Order: sequence, then structure tokens, then C-alpha cells
Amino acid sequence: MNIVSSNIIYSEKINFVPFNEIRKIQGSQIISLDYPAYLVDESKLEGTADWLFFPKSEAEVISIIDFLREEKIPTYISAARTGIVGSSVPKCGSIFSVEKIDKMLGFGFDDNSGKYFCRFEPGITLKGINDKILKKEIDNIKELTPNAISRFKEEKKSYYYPMDPTEMSASISGTVATNASGAGTFKYGATRDWVKKIRVALANGEILDIPRGKYFASDDGAFVVKQTNGTELILKIPSYEFNTEVKNAAGIYSKPNMDFIDLFIGSEGLFGVITEVEIWIIEKTPLISNVLFFNSEGDALDFVISIRDNQIVKPEFIEYFSGESLDLLRNVQTKNPALINMPHIPIRARSAIFFDLPYSEGSIVSNFKEIEEMVKLCNTSLDTSWSGYDNREFARFKHFRHILPETVNSIIAERKRQYPNLHKLGTDMCVPQEKFGEMMKFYHSVLREASLEYVIFGHIGDNHVHLNILPRNTEELELGLKIYKKFAEKAIEYNGSVSAEHGIGKIKLDFLKIMYREKEIEQMRTIKRALDPLLLFNSGNIFEIEGE
Amino acid sequence: MLEINEKNCIGCKICEQVCPFGAIIVDPEDKKAKVLDSCTLCGSCVNACRYDALVIKRKTTSKEDLEKYSGIMIWGELEKDGSENLQIKKVVFELLGKAQELNKTLNEPISVVVLGPPGKIPSIDELYHYGAENVYYCEHELLESYSTDGFTTAITTLIINEKPSIFLYGATVNGRDLAPRIAARIAVGLTADCTAFDINKEKQLVQTRPAFGGNIMASIISPFTRPQMATARPNNFPIPKKDVSRKGNLKKFEIKIEKQTIRTKIIEETISKVDTINIEESDILVSAGRGIGNKENLELVQELAREIKGIMSSSRPLVELGWTSHPIQVGQSGKTVSPKLYIALGISGKIQHLVGMKSSDIIIAINTDPEAPIFKVADFGIVGDIFEIIPQLLKKLRSYLKK
Amino acid sequence: MIIVVTIKQVPEADKVAVNPETGTLIREGVDSILNPFCEYALDMAIKIRNDNPDITVEIITLSMGPPQAKMALLRCLELGADRAYLLSDKDFAGADVWATALTLNEAIRKIVPKFDLILCGKQAIDGDTAQVPAELAETLGIPQIYYGIDISVEKTKIRVKREVENGFQIIETRMPALVTICKGPFNIRRLPSMKNIIEARKKSLETITAEELDVVNEKLGLNGSYTQVVNIFAPPVKETGKIIDGTDPGKAAEQMMAFLKEKKLINF
Repeated sequence: MNIVSSNIIYSEKINFVPFNEIRKIQGSQIISLDYPAYLVDESKLEGTADWLFFPKSEAEVISIIDFLREEKIPTYISAARTGIVGSSVPKCGSIFSVEKIDKMLGFGFDDNSGKYFCRFEPGITLKGINDKILKKEIDNIKELTPNAISRFKEEKKSYYYPMDPTEMSASISGTVATNASGAGTFKYGATRDWVKKIRVALANGEILDIPRGKYFASDDGAFVVKQTNGTELILKIPSYEFNTEVKNAAGIYSKPNMDFIDLFIGSEGLFGVITEVEIWIIEKTPLISNVLFFNSEGDALDFVISIRDNQIVKPEFIEYFSGESLDLLRNVQTKNPALINMPHIPIRARSAIFFDLPYSEGSIVSNFKEIEEMVKLCNTSLDTSWSGYDNREFARFKHFRHILPETVNSIIAERKRQYPNLHKLGTDMCVPQEKFGEMMKFYHSVLREASLEYVIFGHIGDNHVHLNILPRNTEELELGLKIYKKFAEKAIEYNGSVSAEHGIGKIKLDFLKIMYREKEIEQMRTIKRALDPLLLFNSGNIFEIEGE
Repeated sequence: MLEINEKNCIGCKICEQVCPFGAIIVDPEDKKAKVLDSCTLCGSCVNACRYDALVIKRKTTSKEDLEKYSGIMIWGELEKDGSENLQIKKVVFELLGKAQELNKTLNEPISVVVLGPPGKIPSIDELYHYGAENVYYCEHELLESYSTDGFTTAITTLIINEKPSIFLYGATVNGRDLAPRIAARIAVGLTADCTAFDINKEKQLVQTRPAFGGNIMASIISPFTRPQMATARPNNFPIPKKDVSRKGNLKKFEIKIEKQTIRTKIIEETISKVDTINIEESDILVSAGRGIGNKENLELVQELAREIKGIMSSSRPLVELGWTSHPIQVGQSGKTVSPKLYIALGISGKIQHLVGMKSSDIIIAINTDPEAPIFKVADFGIVGDIFEIIPQLLKKLRSYLKK
Repeated sequence: MIIVVTIKQVPEADKVAVNPETGTLIREGVDSILNPFCEYALDMAIKIRNDNPDITVEIITLSMGPPQAKMALLRCLELGADRAYLLSDKDFAGADVWATALTLNEAIRKIVPKFDLILCGKQAIDGDTAQVPAELAETLGIPQIYYGIDISVEKTKIRVKREVENGFQIIETRMPALVTICKGPFNIRRLPSMKNIIEARKKSLETITAEELDVVNEKLGLNGSYTQVVNIFAPPVKETGKIIDGTDPGKAAEQMMAFLKEKKLINF
């Protein structure tokens, strides 16, 4: 820990931009007619708003916040709206879109860690980031350290930002606000591990510049924000232990002597508007994608355990498709093979494991031979597998992984025509490794007893799979909701998390209450009230709060 | 070969910058230019060098040898006209037009070669009307249908006897089969699928063609061999003015071929109605993509095609779904088309599709996605719902055409 | 039965472009792949093997290219070819169609003189010329059939379904013969299994140099080429057209009509 660290952070005032110069739309009718996309996110929860702001700079962000504070208008921060828990859906008041603030601001090289880093405005998408980095199209960008860009351009290897929450059209600030993760989290961790610095605009109209490694909570668990007028905001970090044993995106992060930046990462926009993000990037390793088919779920689980423990074979990620998932895909494949765009899924396969490995001609045969030994013990062989390592193949493998949730969505859309209230029930829970097998058994036994249609797939490497229940009518939806609650309770009983990556947003408030006790949630509210006394930002995300 | 005069080279690196193939670099050690394996002798560096440090030494064929060849010859490909009769393919007239243009500089006789079965060769007068001075024709029962062996033998015989300096073919299915076979038999250079021809200062034929799916254009010459042969993309050159007063010379020639000469046999032939399948020859195409939603909606596309006097084509996904058939597929794994008008309905414009249609004269696109790449190549585009717009368009078209 | 499949490694053509300002080919971020039509040709060879379980079908893939073309040949071995040969030598570089055909011809005469069938992809997506197969067939003195989409084997003869402008033909010829393939026989592009990946690296993949082929130097590479590239340029950049909002379909249709009239596209 930095000897000269401190728990005192000074907020800064920046240049003023007149409010009337900022692009804004006023009127809930106009917004719902001409800008309906801003009222929903991927959760399809619908909201309403009287104002829609499009700031183009940090200064405009501050100007809007000052206006909101004076007029006491709540706001909901909106970037790419790819979230699936309703975090960017406006309950009322205004929509604060940062989509126009989307440029690359800087590039640097850190000698200590030997890594490159980039600075971005909040609205740039992950795809936009990777396009620039992969193609090394970073001319006319500010160099944050001397000669960083020329050094980077001479690198023969490709570089990229490894966070891939599947939806690459997500914005960088959105992924920070939700601490996004994906398949790659198995090897690379979550967004939290890749953020070097952020700038946040607070409700008081001032900016916090927060590099990682500079501000740490005091031993008595507090941060002090000193505002420009001399007054202080005291932030007491929660005393609960935020579960870091498993992938966890539920609730406000807390840890003794925690880094100040981590309070904001995963806070779903409750504490301020992110106006800048600095991230690390790494070398892209050539990879080979593989799918192995197994005759039972148990065999697949055994394989996951053995490949995870293996010293020679180091997968980038390990993903799972259950037998129910494969059946759904087989169905699609029969009707429309081009949609799946892969060879025939073997008839006898009752589960599949999907994994990428680092690829080099020197290691591929020995790696595969190692895997051959593992699969022999799991009742299958390398003959029932698919493998590919050039770009065209990757695209197919990636597509194959995503066609399942897409198919689920289209089946639900079809059923909605008859039962408009229907929606899919998707879980996002995870448990510690030692409880994973039991959790899976629990899922299957409860659902089979209820005779519900479901699929299971996901990040089995992190003991985090998604369960999607596909209700066929309203009764099944009700039953599904009850069962979902049971699962959440079980996950907590096993010391897991109710939301491993999607966050709580507005639709999983009940699950947060299963995971945290009321007084723990009250501690989250305390920080919120200190940083945002008028409850301007994203009220209704993560927890309900009086005065919303 | 590309030769470097090291005395003159100062290592300024201009050659490195202009080389399209990365085939010349300045050695960091001695600061002199060095040529690599990927050099194609295109001459870009020679043109750019300001210090006379680069020169290309090429093989030379004697002028006398080359001057023995004279005349522009065109393969007068025939096709069935829908019944059992044969007609001259449209591309032949396009090439006659181009030949006349080249002749403004070249001034050599223009001839067309027609091969066919006895008694079935169609009226040749049209060829004179469109610019042919001579028509060489050969009647033989073994030339009833196109065969590589029969036609290669016939045309090779003619070339050896008549020594044309240029021989052009349409880059049709058979043209692309025939031309390289002949090129190999008489050992000459051949350029395929050309979209432009010119005559340069040395009176050579400059043949320009797209490569890398149309992303680059290359200009090519065949300096050492005669005739200079090329296949030309159909529907690319305009058909010249018809002059019915023109007359020409009919020159019959004989060939010696036996049944064994022709090693391929046509067992079966299924020619569909020309207007539904031959999208390469249609001036107007109305093309359906994934946005069409389902097979039944193709009826709307057909209606528009009929109304606007075009024919329907489709992108690849519809062929894969079985809603349309491969002969009307436009794209990298289908056909390349360049109609006067290409209307893209519900087509997103993936690069594999664009490659097949982006050289159309006018492109109109309708798609609900404003970011769809098709809009980048469209001359006119509507961001909207085809199911609302097309019915409106049909209404307006019908009332306009009634007038 | 011996089937030779000639293949080419090509850049992903749709990603290659000329920088309009500098006139140079942009090579960053462009991968090299097995030419898609060559993959179809290989698939056709595999299909012939599958369709004729009573015949031993040996599939040999051959390519002329730089050392990295080995990866394309490796892919063929992964997908089911038995042996592969790479003709690679700096003397081969710069070859046009004719020089390429001659080199392949020499290689086939030396390595696989008793072949029955040669399958080629209809065209390479970089050069797009589709000429090498015919020139190769002529130098080998065998019949050719262009644009095949299906092949059936009847003892010493083959019947090829051929795609023409307006439909199809079935053509029969005696082997040895050469067929170019324009469409793959399988609906979905195949994928090797992990087992295929291991096995492929045990199969024979040899590099052959110019010396081993024993061809006169004048016939190879640039020296042996009859055509010369004199200029490379970017195609004319099309100006962006007029894109309008279609929320009012009636108005949009009207504007489209106006456009069609202006361009004289409706005046029958």
C-alpha cells in the first residue's frame, strides 16, 4: 500500500458552459414519439422522461447537473443502453445521454507494469475501442507518456481490450458502471481489474479525478470528499463483506481500506456521471476455439474440473451448453441450418463444453493430446468435437455461442403474441466451486418437477451459468417466478451471488434483499445520500430509497 | 527485372512509399533500395524515383515479329434464343463497339469469328451493321454446341492463319472456359474479365480489370506475344450505333476435327426461361435480402420487378434458406452483376454481397437500419420499411405508367 | 483413384483496399485464408470419396505460393486431404497465369503423374482471373469442364453438373480430366475435429523448390510471364448518394419516383 495514500479526495470545478448552448429535447410526448429508444434498454422495461440531454463534453455535463440540481429534476444516465436489468431506463425526470461524448482522449505506456493504457470519453463503445487499438489507428491522439504512440505502432503484435461482455456495442462507461464481465472473465477478470482511472461528475457539480492506487479508505472505513467551498462529504464504506469469492455484481463494493475507485465501479450510476475512463490493454494471443461434446452433464462437469486443474492446458474461458440447450439448437438446425452455420450437433450429445486455448503450432498437438487423455476419462473422444483457429472460424464459433440466447428471445417473442405478459426468466447466479455440482442438480430437479421448459448455458469456468426458463403460458410464468426466488435463496445459502454479471438495476431489487440484510442495504443508502442528497442520479437502481 | 543503380540511389524511400506490394525497401544498413520477391514490375517506383536510380529491363520481342500481326478479332459467341435457334450473344455487339473505339488509334480491320452447326448459323448481317468488316465462319456438325476442344481447335487454326494482333472474348461462362485454353495452346498472354481497354503510345492494348473483388484496378499489357488476348465483362461496354448500310466480307474457313477430338459430351441440358434466371443480362434488378422476412413476401419484390421491367435477384441468405435459387444469387459466391439499376430491398450490404453488385450504374437501397453498409454504395436510399414503401411506390408507378 | 486439388492461399479479398491518398495496398489487418472456391474443390473431392466407399480415393493438395501458404495446405489436411505439396521458391515469385500453370504442370507430372482427376476452385478471390485451370489442363493435355457443381464417377468416366448462365448442363468426359468447382457440395462449411487437427500434422506436407522441379529458369516467375502489370490504382470513389427518411412512406415513394425519372430509369 502506498505510504503517501490518503482517504481525502478534492473535487474540482471546471469551465463553465452556458446551459442554453447544450443540445436538449424537452417534452415527454416528443421524446416518446421521436426518441423511444432512449426509454428502454435490453431488459425491455419501459420508462418515461420529460427531458433528454445530449452533452458533448465534460463541461456540458457539469452544466446540466447544475440545472438538474437547481430544478430538482431526477436523471437517468444513458450510454448504449445494452444493459439487461433496466439500469438506464428513466423512471421519471430526465435522460442524461453521454453517447455524444465518445472520443479517444489519450494513449500512454506505463514503465512500471510494462503495459499500454488508453483514455476514453464515456460514450465510446467496446467495438469502437477495439477497432482503434487493433488497427493501431491512434494518430492525433494525445500522448500521455512520451513517445507512447510511436512505440506502440512499432509493436508487431496486435493489442486489444479483453473485456467482452458479448455485446460489444456496450459503452465503456456502461461497462464500468456495471463492472461488466463475460466469458473472458475466467482468465482476465472483470472490468474492475482493467480500469486505471476514472473521472466522475458529482451531484454537487464538481469533478472527482480518481486514479487507482491513490486513495484508500481509512482504517475506520471512511473517505472524505473536500468540495471547493471547503465543506466535506463523509463517505462511510459498508461494513459487510462484499463477496469476492465468486463473480459478483450485486450491490455496492466494499472492502477494508478499499481503493476509492472501486466504490464507483459497479455502482450502476448511483454516485455520479462518469466522464472519462482509462483502461489497460494487452497483447492479443492467437487462439483456437473448440467445442467438445459429452454424453451426460456429469461427464462435462468432470471435464471442466480436470481442465481447470491442468498445468499444461490453460483455457481462455470455459463455457457450457446443457442437453436442453443442445436440443433447442438442434431444432433450429433442422429447420434452418444456415442460421446455426456449424456442422451437425451430434445426436447423442447431452452436453457441450466450449473453450478457447492459446494457439501456436509448437504447442497445439501436445495440448490436444493432453486433452485427449482427459476426455477419455469422461466417456467421450476428440472425434466428437469441433476446432478452428482462423478469423473466419472464430466468427462462426462466437456466433454459435450467441445463437442460443437469441433463439430463446425469439421463442419468447413468438409466445408473447398469445400471452403478452410473458417474458423469459433468466438467472445470473453463481456459487463457489465446491457447491456448483449441487446447484446444478438443484436446478434440474426443481425444474423437471415443475415440468417447465428451460435451457442452461454459460460461464461454467467461473461456476456461473445462466438458466433461462421459457414459460409457455401465464401460469408457467408465475410458477417460474416463484422458482427463480427459490434459486436465489439457494445461491445465497451456498454463499454465492444473485447477480454475477448483469447487476441489479431496477428489476432485481428483490434479489438484492435476499442477498443483503436491510441494515446492509441501509449502509449503501448512506453513501448515496452523502454523495447525492437530492437523489438526482439513477434512483431506483440497486435499492429503493425514500424520497425517489 | 527491376535494377537499382546504387550510385544514384540516395535512400530517400519514395519507392518504398509508392510500391503497392511492399516489394522494395531501403536497406537500413547501407541506405540503398533493395527489391524483394513480391515485385511485379508494375513500374510505380520507377515513375516516382527522382534520381534515376531505378530501371526495369524487360524482355523485348522484335518489332518485325510483332508487326506481322494485324487486326482486332472478336469471338462471335452464339446462344440458344429460347427455342432451338441460335442467336449472337449481346456481348459480341458490345465488343464491336469497343473495337471501333480502339480503332480510332489503331486503324486495323475488325473481324468476328462465328462457329456453329451447318445451316444453323444465324444472320450475320447484324455483325456488319455494328462494325465488323469481316466475318470468319466455320460450319461443322461437331460445332453444334460449345465444346472446349472443338472451339479451341477451330479458333486456334484461324488465329495461326490470320494473325490478328488483338483477340477479344466476352467473359461469359464459355468465354472464360475457351480463352485460357487457347492462350495455353498458342502460348500467349491473356487478361481476364476486363472492364476497360485502351491503346497506349506503343500501340499496345492496355487491359484494365478489377482485382481483390473490385477493391483495386490493375492495368495490364501483353508485350511479347500475339495476339493480345482478353476476356471482357459483359454488360459493361455500350452497344454501338447500328448502321444498316454497312456491308462486310464473309470468309468461310474449314477445320479438321473428328469425333475423338471432342472429349466432352453434353448428356443433358436444362435451360430455364431467360428472363427469370439470367440476372447478368438484365438492365434492371430488384434484389431481395433478409429484410424481406419470409418467402411469401417475395411476391412483393416480383411485383415491383414486373412493374419496373426488371427481374428479381437475391442475396445469399435467401438462397440458403431455400426461398430463392442460386442462379439469381448476387454476390461473391453467386453472380457479379452491373445493371443500369439495382434496387436492394432489405439487404444490409455485407461485403460479400457488395462485391457482386457495386459496379451497377445506379443503386437504390431501402432498409430499416440507417447504419446498413448498403447505403454507402447507394445513389439513393430510403431508411424505412419496405412493406410500407413498396406498395406506395407500386401505386405511383402504376398511375404514372397509365398516362 | 487419385484426385489432385490445386489450392491457393489468398488475402481476405474484401478487406484489401487501396489507400486512395497514397495509392498503396493496405495490408494491415488482412488475414490469409484458404481461397473459398479451393475449399469447395476440396469438399467435392471429399464428397467423391464419401460417395464411393468401394474405391480408395487418395486426395493430394498442391499449391504454389510463399512459405506461409503452408497454413492453407495444413487446413486442407485437417479437412481430409491425404498429402500436401507446397511449391515454393523465390524463382516462382511474380508468376502470371501462364508461368503458374507451367509450374503446376511440371509439379503434377513429377509428383502425381498417374492422377485421375484434378479439381480447382473456379477462381481465386484476389486475382479473380479463373485462367490457371484451363491453361493447366491444356499443358497436361486433358479435357476440362468449367463451373462444375456436382460430380459423379462412373468407372473411367465422370459426369459433371455444370452451371451455365441460364441453367445447367450435365457433361460427361473420360478421366484423366480437370474440373473447376464454383459451388461447394456441402451446405455448411465443414470444421475439423480436434482429432483431425492432430492427425493433419502427422500427414505429409512437403515443400518443393524450383531446383527439385527441374524447370528451366526462363519459364518461371516474372521471367516466364507473358503479361505485365503496368499500373495499380484505386477504383473511382463513388460519391455518397442521397439517403432520405422513410417514416412517411408516401413521400418517400414520391421522392424515389422523382429520382427514377431524373435518371431516366422509367421511361418505357
